[in-house]
Amino acid sequence: MLQNIFFGLSLGAVYSLVAVGFALVFNILKFSNFSHGGVMSFTAYAGYLAYIMLFDGHISGSWMFLAIVTTAAVVGALTAIVIERVGFRRLRRNNAPVIYYFISSITLGILLENIITIFASSNFYSYPLFFSSNNIALFGTTFSVADVVTLLVSSGALIILLLVLYRSKLGLGVRTVSFDVNTASLMGIDPDLVVMATFAMSGALGGISGVFLGMNYSLYPQLGQLVVKGFVASVIGGLGSITGAVIGALLLGIVEVALIGVVGSGWMPACVFVIMLVFLLVRPRGIAGVIVQEKA
Amino acid sequence: MDYIYSILTLTGITMIGVMGTYMVTGLTGQFSFGQAAFMAVGGYVSAMLALKYGVPFALAALIGSAAAALSGLLVGMPTVRLRRDYISLVTFGFGEAIISVLNNSAQLTGGAEGLVGIPKRVDLPLVMASVVVCLFLVACYKNSKYGRQCLALRTDELAARSMGIDVNRLKLVTFLFASAITGYAGVLYAFYAQYLEPGYFNWTVSAEWLIIVFVGGINSLTGAMVSAVILTSLPEFLRFASAWRIIIYCIIVLLIINFRPNGIFGDWEISRLWKKKTTVKGGQA
Repeated sequence: MLQNIFFGLSLGAVYSLVAVGFALVFNILKFSNFSHGGVMSFTAYAGYLAYIMLFDGHISGSWMFLAIVTTAAVVGALTAIVIERVGFRRLRRNNAPVIYYFISSITLGILLENIITIFASSNFYSYPLFFSSNNIALFGTTFSVADVVTLLVSSGALIILLLVLYRSKLGLGVRTVSFDVNTASLMGIDPDLVVMATFAMSGALGGISGVFLGMNYSLYPQLGQLVVKGFVASVIGGLGSITGAVIGALLLGIVEVALIGVVGSGWMPACVFVIMLVFLLVRPRGIAGVIVQEKA
Repeated sequence: MDYIYSILTLTGITMIGVMGTYMVTGLTGQFSFGQAAFMAVGGYVSAMLALKYGVPFALAALIGSAAAALSGLLVGMPTVRLRRDYISLVTFGFGEAIISVLNNSAQLTGGAEGLVGIPKRVDLPLVMASVVVCLFLVACYKNSKYGRQCLALRTDELAARSMGIDVNRLKLVTFLFASAITGYAGVLYAFYAQYLEPGYFNWTVSAEWLIIVFVGGINSLTGAMVSAVILTSLPEFLRFASAWRIIIYCIIVLLIINFRPNGIFGDWEISRLWKKKTTVKGGQA
């Protein structure tokens, strides 16, 4: 029981990275950024490539893991910056309606996925085992090392993100722009820079979650479609709210693990859908209860 | 010749599917990522009726479309009141749920191996006739009072509401209509291909339809149809580029979004050719 909850938490931690990466961009541009999935699979492959070409044979174990995560985060940040340049910069200049951002992000996600399919030819690859399969015994049950590490690294990344958002000048800029772009730029904040930084942060989180997803599910081009989990989580939590996204993601992880135990993995997506539908009916604002007003 | 026939038939079926997407996206401005799932509902329901109970094709087609509309009601009811992002999420979840149900009820649907042995009842003339009829219905809907109200709510929901348009009901009605048409596309597909598998209906199909609508121009039914014909049949003739096909699509869409946000056709409709006087003035506004 305790073990299952813990497994759910560690799954939820990965989802929360996805969901927060999602929520960051939503916060500032007010659209659901589906290109995040593309970033995730792209970085997962980039991490694998770095492992094959750079790190293999030089380092191993936890150091290898750290090196891959760092590479993926950096690649993710860069990819997201490129995506912002290609897909959204011009739209912001034109004051395009939200649906254009939306379609642009979907297109970019599909584009990245298919670029990977062409170069990796939809084969399955998998990361090496970073950690010995030893379990840690605690409170009378055992936890796998990989789950513990997942939980620790995810929380670490989220804490760093929160520090940046709430304790730095850049974070202040991000929060200001997400409140009102025009006033922010009147106050001497460069919105382009802030949007770019937000995308970079979101991409870095996407990179880290990409590696974790790759570790959990092996690598395949459609890996990025797991971005939906992040989407579901941030809807449950309340679109645009960072804390809400984390809570929603943890809940989703636990519920999914519980459902797999009860109804099996085949029926799980259907059950999650029903739960989500009911949730939307009962509390459409999400847990955090922030109402994002559609621009009139 | 058979090959060209089959391409034309599949293009026709895609056109009907795209009409559903056009209604949801082009008229009410919502994004459905599960449109292909309605196609799955229509196809599976009608095929199973024909296989298990020997229901004649016409009746099976009717029930299949009705079943798709019913599932549209299930999905649409809770979502029309919400922000537009949610309908993408819910339709996406619906698509995944349908696929998981189809995969897991193997005794009924054949599971991942697919449903085989569906009688062949659909040929090119029937598909073409269906395209014409559906196109007529959708065009009428677009030009009717409802279609105009839809355009109003897509442009500005708040303003439309304040003009007395029942926004939620209108969205739901349009969504149901679109689901029924997409379901009918599924019926045609089932009785043409004689084989159904859940993998054919995943969200990439829905996304491809969205892209088609967007390339043609979100305001133009003509544009959506022309781009459906071009984007589905052209790659078949240019087989060598098949792996790059989607990449080329995506680049086209990005170019269009950045440089010609109204799509290739803008809001031009083919009916302008014979209705010049009345529409050109309105079109410029």
